[in-house]
Amino acid sequence: MKNKLQLFIMIFFISANSSAEMSRIDDNELSEVTGQSGVYLSGEISINENGGPIDSASGNSYFGDCSDPDKVCGARLSFQTQQDGGWFVIDNIKGSIAFEGLTFQVRNITSGFGGDGALFNQSVMEIGMPESIRMNDFQFTLATACVGRPTELCESPQNAEFNQVDFMTVEMSGEMTLEGNLLVFPTP
Amino acid sequence: MNIFIKQIAKLALVSVLLSVGYAAAEMTSLSDNDLSEVDGAGIGLVMDEFVFSHGHDTANDKVFRITGLTNKTGEAVVVNVNQLYIARSGSNYGTTLDPVNLGRLTNPYEIDLIDGDTIGLTDEAVLQFSAPKKVALAEGYDCLDAGAVIGSGTCSSRPSSASWLNGERPDMGLELEIRVGTEAPKNLNFQAKSAVFDGSYLRLWGDEDTNKMAAEFRLNFYTPELEISTCSQSDQACGSSVKMQDFQLELALGTTFQPLYIGVDNVTGGLTLEIPKITHEYINNLNSGVSDGTANGNAAEAFFTDYYTNSDYRSNIVVGNLAIGGENLGSAKIEGMLIQYLDVKFRDLTP
Repeated sequence: MKNKLQLFIMIFFISANSSAEMSRIDDNELSEVTGQSGVYLSGEISINENGGPIDSASGNSYFGDCSDPDKVCGARLSFQTQQDGGWFVIDNIKGSIAFEGLTFQVRNITSGFGGDGALFNQSVMEIGMPESIRMNDFQFTLATACVGRPTELCESPQNAEFNQVDFMTVEMSGEMTLEGNLLVFPTP
Repeated sequence: MNIFIKQIAKLALVSVLLSVGYAAAEMTSLSDNDLSEVDGAGIGLVMDEFVFSHGHDTANDKVFRITGLTNKTGEAVVVNVNQLYIARSGSNYGTTLDPVNLGRLTNPYEIDLIDGDTIGLTDEAVLQFSAPKKVALAEGYDCLDAGAVIGSGTCSSRPSSASWLNGERPDMGLELEIRVGTEAPKNLNFQAKSAVFDGSYLRLWGDEDTNKMAAEFRLNFYTPELEISTCSQSDQACGSSVKMQDFQLELALGTTFQPLYIGVDNVTGGLTLEIPKITHEYINNLNSGVSDGTANGNAAEAFFTDYYTNSDYRSNIVVGNLAIGGENLGSAKIEGMLIQYLDVKFRDLTP
């Protein structure tokens, strides 16, 4: 009896996680799914406003505290499009963006849009632009460099000093006008 | 009871381990070849009721400027962006900001992963960003006419009209104020009315022969009026301007067989743009451009015939009427430009 019970319990657990066959959900079925009507977001994103974790005290020659005019204190994003080539860089990204009323919701469109709505007749993901968006000392520098990390030496010519060409720095602050809804949907 | 629960727990653990045993799958990387077989739906993007505007206005606590530039004597150049805007047609130089739509639900902006086999890139996966596509004449609108009606052209985006106020053709503007050292500031403004980008796309893929990111870029830009002026921000309609009426730009950079490579020089750190010279694997089977009669020679001849006659590979700039300071100078055209070789390297001129 005890062995039968053990076998039953064992089969139960095995079958429990293997009985469900995976099947596709088509657009039609998915359109019937309803859940939370939407999400309303407010917040503030701050990037290295006062400098990143690498400071002058650590002996770094490139990154440092924002109070040090000879050092870069913002975040850095670099990417390479050619093997053994140089790097595209978005450097010294810092500041903050505060927003109120960014929304996410599913919207069923059956009319409007100059007659396109009735032809379209399906649901989309709607990302509503914030009611207000404000930047505080937001800035970034567009640049190109011989290597991705400024603490490394160039590979060509070997061990040459780090070389970066800064094209321009874009600085933005204050309330911005940004209205509308981004509609996202699958296309055939 | 405790023994019973322990027994269940033990059996459950054994069962789960057993089931993991037969459910485990080895992760393997997807090659370009595998990925090129993927043919899923793309992602359509439409901006509904869209308005964007931002500008440098210290009185209202707004900053929008470009710094880090110097002139040839080393003086700092600061460019204040007085206004950058995208709004409905009829914005009157960005002073009336009404909403516009960008893209149509039935012909949107798209991000798509396409099968390279369908565009002449065998076994490649291609990432494509595209504006609304051009359509048949019967379904389209004239690309330049801000009052175009259906059946008048091949552009899908519609102008603003009484029945569809938003339209899909925005006014766009960039108003700059350039300050060099202690000199008086100078203005430079770019304004486009009822702009259309239909038929533009950017395709990106990895070129296995060169280990570079390759691109095919088509930029179509149509506007009934593109104005470049030096007017002050408070008087954007001043006469100090160059107006290009019925402006058409159809720029073709790179093809699938002669791609555009965008990169950075690993010595100088400068930007590089490169289009390799045109060639064909059987080019040696041609004599003075004519096939030597072999199958390979015929293939090469057909390739070069298409290359030199296909208008899709050529760039055009057409201005219906050029007006400088209010004086009409008539039309200007640069048509059929074929970029056969390009090698551009940017160098830092900082003194």
